Amino acid sequence: MRETLSFLGRRAIILHRPGDTTDRLVRQCALLGLRAEARWRPLTAAEDIDIVLVDADEGWDGLLPWTVAEKLIPLVALLASEAPGRIAWALDQGADALIAKPVTASAVYPALVMATRRHSEARRLNERIRRLEERVRLRPLVHAAVLSLMTADGCDENDAYGRLRREAMQTRLTLEQVAASLLAGPRRQAG
Amino acid sequence: MTDLRLGILFSTSGDYGVLGRDCRDGAMIAIEELRGACSIAIEPVFGDPRGSSERYIELARKMLLEDGCRHVIGTVTSQARKDVIPVIEKHDSLLWYVCPYEGFEANPNVIYTGACPNQHLLPLFEHMLPVYGRRVYLTGANYIWGWEMNRLAREIVAEAGGAIVGERCLPIGDTDVDRIVAEVVARRPDFILSNMLGPSNHAFLRAMRDLGQRDPAFRPEHCPVVSCDLTECELPEIGFGAADGQLAAASYFDSLDSIANRALKVQVASQFGSGRRVSSYFATSYATVRLCVEAVARCGADDPIKVRSALGGPETPGPLGPLRIDPATNHASLPFLLGRISGADFVILQSRPAVAADPYLIRRRTAAQPGKAQPNLRVVS
Repeated sequence: MRETLSFLGRRAIILHRPGDTTDRLVRQCALLGLRAEARWRPLTAAEDIDIVLVDADEGWDGLLPWTVAEKLIPLVALLASEAPGRIAWALDQGADALIAKPVTASAVYPALVMATRRHSEARRLNERIRRLEERVRLRPLVHAAVLSLMTADGCDENDAYGRLRREAMQTRLTLEQVAASLLAGPRRQAG
Repeated sequence: MTDLRLGILFSTSGDYGVLGRDCRDGAMIAIEELRGACSIAIEPVFGDPRGSSERYIELARKMLLEDGCRHVIGTVTSQARKDVIPVIEKHDSLLWYVCPYEGFEANPNVIYTGACPNQHLLPLFEHMLPVYGRRVYLTGANYIWGWEMNRLAREIVAEAGGAIVGERCLPIGDTDVDRIVAEVVARRPDFILSNMLGPSNHAFLRAMRDLGQRDPAFRPEHCPVVSCDLTECELPEIGFGAADGQLAAASYFDSLDSIANRALKVQVASQFGSGRRVSSYFATSYATVRLCVEAVARCGADDPIKVRSALGGPETPGPLGPLRIDPATNHASLPFLLGRISGADFVILQSRPAVAADPYLIRRRTAAQPGKAQPNLRVVS
């Protein structure tokens, strides 16, 4: 079961012209223990906040200090328009959830939970992809290490690979790291 | 003289009609009492949606569009409340919701006078877990009340280091409880939380009585069934005595000894006969109509926004104690009572003074897990 998310003590910025929409959002945020401030000027990277709600109807590039790949906090788009360009803008900023305008009270908590979960899920997946890419990049090392073991010990490919894996598990290193150190070993001896 | 057309929208027939009838009767008694006693000409408009979502929406729309109502006291289930809210919002009106519910809502167009979990389930479990144990069986009606109450119970029990030994929900109206009882026998919980509604719950409580007669380990003193929505109005349907010893949380019981409650009971007896018990549904509906009319009187108009702002005025004592509405949440502060069923009544075992509603349970988390906040994700330069 997913734990019920609490926003207590967190801070939100609502990038939207202050008015009825922002009043409604600030009220609902306050009920969740989320301190929200509405303003209509760009966010800077140094600001200490936990979640951003942004007007996707009038938002412009540069309102948010990140690209999708660099986005570090959850983002909720506020949107009344159906214009494809505005939807695209929200996606380009990395919106994790959407609140349709005019804002109804019951739309706020679900969007904040959804954005927070989607954002952390995206970060987790990005980190996983980064690690896998690193391993793919180093795959030739593993292949070279297997060949080197086969030549040195006269074993077959399966045995050589098995030895590398056991070594990786015992030393708690990745297969790629073990392969790299094995290949470096003889060279150190030779030098 | 100010005119107030008051929509009274409760399902008084259908599966949970008995709850709706108590809500309606409580509203009626308040209207009778206020007629002639204040400067407001109250004209109630009654509607019985018979438990159907479509009828709820239709009747709410009719009250607001054709009957000139700007205030509706009503809906019993959370499903019905959520169905009606968009209609209320569209017409800038106020819905006055009087039943206990599962929280996680605070609509500016709704005044909530029924209890939410920090006023019923949390104090109930604070009492139950240390006294009876931490192995809990969950049952519920197969809709949002049952699902969310069980989910919350699961979180509370997990935080307390206990275990949910089983969970089963029945569709509203379904009385086939054999499987639930068989699971209870097999898993032997320390107590059972029932979030079932109406006939399902009645059948379950009768089946638990039979089980207790066969095996004393399942009698209420060892393995009680507790709930947050069972009141006096359902005891005749279950059968007097059948649920004796079982427990319920409420913000009001008929047996409450206070001046305001004695006055209400005299009035109820003269209207409905001395056998009629007052449930928390009845008393809350009664107190809510009074609250609404008093606020309208202070404003001199039934404008919903003005009436909502006028709720912070002087508190009038009523059967629930003084009813204070928190302007931040639109929820009432309510007391917690724990009652044990005995015949037609609840014996009050424990009472706590009124606490403010915390619909999104943000205060529970501060108290329960100070160091366990979600990690903050921050913009870094």
